[in-house]
Amino acid sequence: MRGLLFALLGGACITLQGVANSRISQDIGTWQAATVTQLTGFIMALLILLFVRDGRRRGLSQIKPLYLIGGAFAAVIIFSEVTAIHQVGVTFTISALLIAQLCLTFLVDSKGWFGVVKQKMKLPQFIGLGMMIAGVIILKF
Amino acid sequence: MIQGLLLALVAGSLVSMQNVFNSKVNEHTGSWATTALVLGMGFAASLTFGLIFEGGRLFSLENMKPWYWISGAIGVGVVICLTLGIRLLGPTYAISIVLISQLGSALLWDSMGWLGLNKVPFTSQQLLGVLVIVGGILVFKLGGGRVHQAASEETNETSSCKIKNEARGA
Repeated sequence: MRGLLFALLGGACITLQGVANSRISQDIGTWQAATVTQLTGFIMALLILLFVRDGRRRGLSQIKPLYLIGGAFAAVIIFSEVTAIHQVGVTFTISALLIAQLCLTFLVDSKGWFGVVKQKMKLPQFIGLGMMIAGVIILKF
Repeated sequence: MIQGLLLALVAGSLVSMQNVFNSKVNEHTGSWATTALVLGMGFAASLTFGLIFEGGRLFSLENMKPWYWISGAIGVGVVICLTLGIRLLGPTYAISIVLISQLGSALLWDSMGWLGLNKVPFTSQQLLGVLVIVGGILVFKLGGGRVHQAASEETNETSSCKIKNEARGA
């Protein structure tokens, strides 16, 4: 039951991030909103890291540089998401975003790209994606 | 509308890539070190793009309201909730619920027009669309068929960091 509450709250917070950024960008601009929220989030995560100390700093040098810059995608993600929310609303934006996200993850998992554990995708996954796309079409047309 | 759709698709694809990369980082270091690194990189990239496109105007923050400064904390809340949710429910169920909750709260936000966003009126067509998408998520996640499903349940930590990294700031 507590797990359910955490998962529900977590999902709501992910949407809230997009919504809050859209609101903030109306007042100070989109790049400004992205910069400010990433900076304050970074500072908070750093403070928590100082307390929990789960760093294992030596591990960082073993990671391919490409993977280290994954966080930089956030700039483009925030800009795109905020602009989309302004243009087509929260529901449609989140729906399309989730479909692209699951489709690409599906592709990466089934091809085993970037050294992820290869997963065979079967009929339920195709039906699921098909239903999601159908749902987005119902939303807008 | 096409532009909005394309931007949302770009954002979703990058979220997916980011999740893959971040989970690679998480294999070598802890959750909070990963989160701090991801948000730090996001800050550096946003600052760079901001300077390129806005120049000095990036620092003119007159319309800043106090709560804007702490909005970054939402991302930290996401990491905490997802970590605990996954620990208590396992990745498959937790992530299904997270995705559904994302959509449900989006619909709620549009209907209420909270925080001064444009209100999108709630219609039965919208409800139907969201329900079909939710059905799709459930079939995708719980439908089985993925051969390594059982294996990925065991490597709880790896799958969990994949979704946790959605915290990504944003």
